[in-house]
Amino acid sequence: MRSNLLALLVFAALAAAPILIGGYWTGQLTTYLVYGLLAMSLSLVWGYGGILCFGQAMFFGIGGYIMAVLTKGMILPELTSSYLGLIAAMAGSALFALALGYFLFAGRGISGAYLAIITLAMALVLERLMNNWYALGGYNGLLNVPPIKLTFFGASFELWDRMPTFYAVLAVVALVYLLVSWLLNSTYGLKLTANRTHPDRLASLGYNVLIIRLSVFALSAAIAGLAGAIFVTLDGFASPTLIGFTLSTEALIWVAIGGKEMLLAAFLGAILTRTAESWLSEIFGDYWILILGIAFMISVVLLPKGLLATPLEKLTQGKGRKSR
Amino acid sequence: MSEFIPIILDVSSYILILVLVALGLMIVFGMMGVINMAHGELFMIGAYVMVAAQSVGLPFLAGVILAPIVVGFLGLLIETALIRHIYLRPLDTILATWGLSIALKQLVVLTFGPESHSVPLPIDGSLELGTFSYPLYRLILMATSVLLIGGTFWLFTRTNFGLMARAVIARPDTAATLGIDTRRMYRWSFVIGTALAGLAGALVAPIISVDPQMGLGYLVPGFLSILVGGAGPLAGVLVGGTVIGGVNNLLAIWISPVAAMITVYIIAILIIRLKPEGLMGGRRAK
Amino acid sequence: MLEIHNLSSGYGDAMVLRDFSCQIDTGKVTALMGRNGMGKTTLVKTIMGLIRAKSGRIMFDGTAIEKQPTHQISRNGMGYVPQGREIFADFTVTENLRLSLLGHEGGNVLTLQQIYDWFPILKERAEQRAGTFSGGQQQILAIARSLIGGPKMLLLDEPTEGIQPSIVHEIGVQLKRIAHETGLSILIVEQNVDMVRTLADEVLFMENGAIQERCDINAMRDDDSLLHRYLSV
Repeated sequence: MRSNLLALLVFAALAAAPILIGGYWTGQLTTYLVYGLLAMSLSLVWGYGGILCFGQAMFFGIGGYIMAVLTKGMILPELTSSYLGLIAAMAGSALFALALGYFLFAGRGISGAYLAIITLAMALVLERLMNNWYALGGYNGLLNVPPIKLTFFGASFELWDRMPTFYAVLAVVALVYLLVSWLLNSTYGLKLTANRTHPDRLASLGYNVLIIRLSVFALSAAIAGLAGAIFVTLDGFASPTLIGFTLSTEALIWVAIGGKEMLLAAFLGAILTRTAESWLSEIFGDYWILILGIAFMISVVLLPKGLLATPLEKLTQGKGRKSR
Repeated sequence: MSEFIPIILDVSSYILILVLVALGLMIVFGMMGVINMAHGELFMIGAYVMVAAQSVGLPFLAGVILAPIVVGFLGLLIETALIRHIYLRPLDTILATWGLSIALKQLVVLTFGPESHSVPLPIDGSLELGTFSYPLYRLILMATSVLLIGGTFWLFTRTNFGLMARAVIARPDTAATLGIDTRRMYRWSFVIGTALAGLAGALVAPIISVDPQMGLGYLVPGFLSILVGGAGPLAGVLVGGTVIGGVNNLLAIWISPVAAMITVYIIAILIIRLKPEGLMGGRRAK
Repeated sequence: MLEIHNLSSGYGDAMVLRDFSCQIDTGKVTALMGRNGMGKTTLVKTIMGLIRAKSGRIMFDGTAIEKQPTHQISRNGMGYVPQGREIFADFTVTENLRLSLLGHEGGNVLTLQQIYDWFPILKERAEQRAGTFSGGQQQILAIARSLIGGPKMLLLDEPTEGIQPSIVHEIGVQLKRIAHETGLSILIVEQNVDMVRTLADEVLFMENGAIQERCDINAMRDDDSLLHRYLSV
């Protein structure tokens, strides 16, 4: 239960952070939390699901565009509810993942390097498509996406100011973390591990491997879609960069550096890498990207479990070397 | 009729360059199962070697000779420092070489700046036959590419090195029991693959704009070519490159570059999914 | 010539050989017999470096080879004919042989002519693709491919598996002749009693990852009890 304690500490520290870091950084941190959510979704599908997705931003972008289109009232001017937008963003991303996943995994499905190349190509296709889909803003994207509007029993509240927005996003992220951790500790997590390590045996035991893969792919897409939907309300616009290649590979770097097989480490990987980026890129200038590339290489070669996950795992396992 | 010839030539020259880039990828992928995401950057560095050579007043030919040497040496360095430690973990090679590609790209930005460079055509003239006219350098480039592709095929099918390489591809363990140093074969194949990318970059430099981002535009089509063609026989690269490069260019001319790129990628994804062994078949499951 | 001391080896965490020791003499044909799953193939692969020894020592001709890479072990004079033959099906006979010559470049290699004298069928089919051969012909090629590298010792892993009896006998007789002519040492893992009787000078019986019994071939000819005990023939 040390890992729960660690997660509690991390989220408590995040909750306390705005007191120390001031308004500007709180705003930045809110964005990083959303990236952290994207990182968690990638950790789920890659680290736990064994599906190396080189285009995770596809789902992020789809969620973002759906949210933008709905809350701007571009389809139904009467229905601009934020709740509806969030749900539709998650559902839309998940449905796209189901369709894509069925195409990729059904029958003698593809895996490994082929999957990586295909998801990479898909992300490039979608990015190019959005750049040229003029009804959805094309290259410029969709501007003036309204902030999330929370309504309870008739009262409504717009997430506009930094502090409430930060805490609302933090609450969502913590909730997703809790739900996914709970899921991974259930028999579903067991099935995922079996699917990753011995898919043939799992199939011979009568489990439908396709359904397990599809479910984790779709679940991860829904989380990425949620992240994308929140993201566009923070920035106020949805652009093709959200759906494409660059963000996909950035997410991959966060998760690899953090630790793909540990949800919390992947989440922290995104937050710390982004934080480091905003601080260090001022100090190191253009050398920062070079440093990031090299750090990524080193973490893949020497610490395949992740730069953060390796020490964190030691911490959570303590002296009684219990295997996971 | 005569207005089609330049189109056909344009398409062919694109295909040949794509095949040249894909060939290097293919050697490394077929031999070691390593997906080298930094291959596009090695191609890009080849072009920059040409830019650098020209800026210090060296002739074009010197750049053509220097580029494969410099990039091949870089390949040797990469193999020693990076690839050999992880080549038993194929998926990690994707990530590690991706990190490498980011680092290389940024290194070039830091050295040459983010802006694009242009290399003057080494031969200005064009071939005139009646109403038909075509830049001479492009024709020379095509002929050189054909020679290089042919030379690579010759190396892998007709020489001792090729015999050992094909043995290592088919049965690495058995080849080792016959005294063949598989690690050494991997290393030199990697160097050959990277040197080819560097050479291709230098040759193409005069007809494209050389910038730090140019690698990706060749990397993904290159990969799609080898996956579509089938990795087993080298002929797969030719078929894959022709399908990807040909469809892309023709659609770009007839419809639009955007539609072409989207269509080609989707066609490629469909072929890879429905026929994972590639159009030419003969790939082992890795 | 080949001395194995306290060798432990296996796949992953599962140890097939534990503290295994034995000695194979120079200039002799030694047969290693035992039921399936007793660790014979694991032993041969560990000697070749295809499976890494977890601990222990393998001395070959005065050199410790347990940490050497496979190709180095081969170049030191250890020939290997794997189970299932593993010839290069897309290569011709000469290409298969040339490959082994390339692997042993600068070493004490034999000539193609020497190989063709021993195995005339290979000369007849020199330019034929090896994949078109019958199992027996492939086996001959696999043995020839090893021999051309000029090994001091030859490891044969179940060479008779899936091969028609007439060729089995032919291979046995020919190998015996070659061993006598050249002083080649052979370690053969075999279940086929006829092959062992034709070829071997000495027989080792293996069970549960250890040598249980060692006997002269003549002793085995007179007494079937060992065969019954270790092979349940």
